[in-house]
Amino acid sequence: MAAPELAEPEAIDFSRAGVVVRDDIFAAHRAAWQSLASPGVWWTSEERIAIAAEARTASSCALCREAKQALSPFSFSGRHDSERDLPAAAVEAVHRIVTDPSRLTRSWVEQLAADGLSDGHYVELVGVVVTLLSIDRLCQGVGAELHPLPGPVAGEPSRIRPDGLEDVGAFTPMLSTRAGKKLGLWNLPVAPNVIRALSLVPPEVEMLHTVAGAHYLPVEQVSQIGRAPGRALDRAQIELVAARVSSLNECFY
Amino acid sequence: MLLRASGETMGDTPDLRAVNEGAAAAGGVAGGRALLTFTDAVIAQDAPAIQSARAELVRAVGAAGMVDAAAVIGNFERMNRIADAIGIPMDGPTAAVTLSIQEELGLRRFASASHSPDATRLQRLVGRFTRVLLPLVSRLMAQRH
Repeated sequence: MAAPELAEPEAIDFSRAGVVVRDDIFAAHRAAWQSLASPGVWWTSEERIAIAAEARTASSCALCREAKQALSPFSFSGRHDSERDLPAAAVEAVHRIVTDPSRLTRSWVEQLAADGLSDGHYVELVGVVVTLLSIDRLCQGVGAELHPLPGPVAGEPSRIRPDGLEDVGAFTPMLSTRAGKKLGLWNLPVAPNVIRALSLVPPEVEMLHTVAGAHYLPVEQVSQIGRAPGRALDRAQIELVAARVSSLNECFY
Repeated sequence: MLLRASGETMGDTPDLRAVNEGAAAAGGVAGGRALLTFTDAVIAQDAPAIQSARAELVRAVGAAGMVDAAAVIGNFERMNRIADAIGIPMDGPTAAVTLSIQEELGLRRFASASHSPDATRLQRLVGRFTRVLLPLVSRLMAQRH
């Protein structure tokens, strides 16, 4: 199996931005790139990298720009600006998640399924897109170049659907608190929905912990109100930024 | 909820209007105006605005604080999209304790609010108690840590 390009330390590099980035952030980005380059549960390595590349170009898509301005985002037909070899339903999913996430609906996800995107493929795609966006926004914020995408790694998706899924009224099923605990995905008395959301594809929950633990706070510290150990910002400053992002993204949750 | 609770724990009174209005109402948190200006610029992906906001933020909270802010922005770009793309409903207890803030900030205006049912009578009751008790609980938690 070929080593992914990220094995080269210079693939992830903040030095040209002239800022010092915490070691845990650097390590989280390397882990994320390693995961991105590896075969997933439902997508191959090449497909995962193509999804990430698509996420980077979605914000300049003309169709998405028009849809974002429209009263109903689904009143448009047409083609997204895309040059990658991904199924049309995957391209549609990537673009909408990047450019207009607050207006996604159950019927839209059901249409993706009817167009051939299984719930497992969809959840993994969400995981890849949001990891990429999270890391890219940090790079843009600190003034660093976006990390070059890694090269693919040979191998097949595992296609393992975990046991213990339940319907909590979301668009896709997720693991029960108990089932996720058993898999070592969390160690919480009650896991909140946002932690469980991607658990149909367990490695995406692990990646969420890795990146969120460095970018925000480790999950076990989130409920320690008023505290932000190891951070230069205090907790109120962190929460002010978090709340403002959520408001700009029109996220109710 | 975490903004208000964190502020109260630390003896501040964050101006929650900043959540909706941005830098125009950034009182109550140290460096708030610079943090919000930076946040808005990064979310808008406006490169020149990011550059000037970054310089202002470094002056306000230092370079390490600026990196923290960029990381938090990235994190919530992620968490918001997870919530909305999976269409998760708000968890019952969270729905109760955040009710007053949802109402204060008018969060039901967001399309994604349709993923979560309206609060039940019990959640409203719990929410009212929580609003009263939160400052006390926050101070107790701060002492404990």
